[in-house]
Amino acid sequence: MVVRIRLSRFGNKHQPFYNICVSQARSARDSKPLEVIGTYNPLPQRPTNLSTEQARNARPYKEVALDRSRAKYWLGVGAQPSDGVWKLLSLAGLAEKTKTKTEGSE
Amino acid sequence: MPPRIQTQRVSNSVLPYLSSTSSTPASSCTSLPPSSTSCPHRTFSSTSAAQTRLRSHMFEWLNSEGRKLRYHEPNVYKYVTNLRDLAKDTVPPEQLSKRPFPLNQNFVSEPILSEEMREEIYKRVAQDKKSVRAVSIELKVDMRRVAAVVRLMEMEKGWRTQGKPLALPYSRAIQEMVPTTRYSPDPRNQRPHESINDLPVHRLTDPQIFYPVSESRQFTRVDAGRVFSGAPRLPNSTVDEITNDPSSSISRATQNPHLIERVGKGDQETQVLQPADARIPHPYLVAHERDSIKKPHERGENIKRFSSRLQEEERAEAERRQAAEERREKKTAKVNPEDSRFEFRFTDVVVSKETTGADGRGHRAPGRRYGVPSYERKKGEVKIPTRVNV
Repeated sequence: MVVRIRLSRFGNKHQPFYNICVSQARSARDSKPLEVIGTYNPLPQRPTNLSTEQARNARPYKEVALDRSRAKYWLGVGAQPSDGVWKLLSLAGLAEKTKTKTEGSE
Repeated sequence: MPPRIQTQRVSNSVLPYLSSTSSTPASSCTSLPPSSTSCPHRTFSSTSAAQTRLRSHMFEWLNSEGRKLRYHEPNVYKYVTNLRDLAKDTVPPEQLSKRPFPLNQNFVSEPILSEEMREEIYKRVAQDKKSVRAVSIELKVDMRRVAAVVRLMEMEKGWRTQGKPLALPYSRAIQEMVPTTRYSPDPRNQRPHESINDLPVHRLTDPQIFYPVSESRQFTRVDAGRVFSGAPRLPNSTVDEITNDPSSSISRATQNPHLIERVGKGDQETQVLQPADARIPHPYLVAHERDSIKKPHERGENIKRFSSRLQEEERAEAERRQAAEERREKKTAKVNPEDSRFEFRFTDVVVSKETTGADGRGHRAPGRRYGVPSYERKKGEVKIPTRVNV
C-alpha cells in the first residue's frame, strides 16, 4: 500500500483549514494519519500593520506551516504527494515544478 | 414574549397621525397652561385621568424648570441633577455634577477626549515621533487610548482625503453634551484624563494563600510573587540587592523579560510572578516618586533621571520588538509565484517527540488535533491510578 502526503480537511463550513499529513493512501481523508507535518490555510489573509499606501498594493497571502526535514524524509522513503500538496511542496522548493509521471506509477 | 405596550392608550397620544376616529375629542392639553408652546397634538387621547394629571405635571415641568434642558450649549453638560446650578448661571461648567441620574448616584459619566486633545495626541505621536509611552505620561491618557486615538485619527485623515462623508454634527453634539478633558499647553495644568498606571489582576493572584513567615524575615512584594507562583525563596544576597536598589531591579525585569526566572515543568512552565511595581504600565513613575521623596531638593536632577529611565525603557522595547520581528522573518519564507494573485508564506515548524508529546497531542506540534475516544465509562477499565504526579 502507498503512503501519501495529502491534505485532510479541518475547520468549519466555508472556513476550510487543512492539515498536511502523511497517511496510508486507502485510509479515510480525516482519519488519524501516520504523522501531521504541517498545515495549510487556503483563505487569503490581508497583511496588517501597514501604512495606507502599502496596504493598497499589498498582496494577500496564504499561510503554510511545514516541517521541511520531515517532508524531505517522507519524500525520500517514497511517500507520494497528492496534487495539492505537490503544488505546495514545489513552492517550498522540495519538489519539481510540475508533477511528471514516473515510469513505475499508474 | 416582551411586555406589550398598551396600544389603546398610547397609540393615540404618541402617534397622532395613527389616531382612529373612535376616540373622545376631549384633550388633555386643556389642563396645561395656555402659554405652553410645546404641547403635543393630543386631540384623540383616551388616557385615564391619573395619567393625564401626571402628564400635565410633566408638561408643566418641561415648560418651567425643564426649559433649561431643551437646547444644549457648548461645553455645558446639562443633567437633571444640575438644574439648580444651571439656574444660577454662576457655577463654572467644570464644577457641574457629572451624575446624570438623580436616583442612581453611582453612575458618573466619564469624560471623553476633546477635539484639540485628540489633535495634540496625534501630532505628538505621528509628527513629533514621540513614543506612545511618553505621550501617555505627558498628557495623562492611558497608553491603549493613545494608540487608539492615533489609529482613528489616521483613518479620519484618510477618509478626508478620499472625500468620504464624516458624521461631524454627531461628533460635535456628543462633544458638547458630555464632560470632556481639555488640552492645556502648560503641562503642569494638564488635568489627568484617567488613571494611567492601573495594575491588571493576574490569574496567579486569585487564590488566597496562607503562608506562614517568621517575624524576623522581611516579606516583600517580590516574595509574595514567588509564593503565588510556587517558586523557592530567594537567597539572602539577592534579597539585599533588591532592597538596596529596588528601581534598578524593577527596570532589569521590565527591560529584559526573557531573563525572568521560570518555574514549572513542560506545559505548566511559567514566569515567576513579578511584584506589582514591575507589572504596572509605567514602572519608572514609581522610581521617579521614590527619587523625589528621597531627594526633594534635586528637582531638575530627578526629572533628568526620570527621562533617561524612560528613554532606556523605550530603547529596550524597540529592540525587543525588532528582535521579535527578525525572528519571525527568519522563520518565514515568502514565495510570490508569477501565476498567482497570492503570496505563500511558509513557516518552519518542528514535528518531533518533544513537540508532539508521548500521546501525539502536544500543543506545540503543527496541525489541528484529532479526537481521541474516551474510555472513561468502558466496562472493565481499571481506574486506580498507577502513579501520582507531584
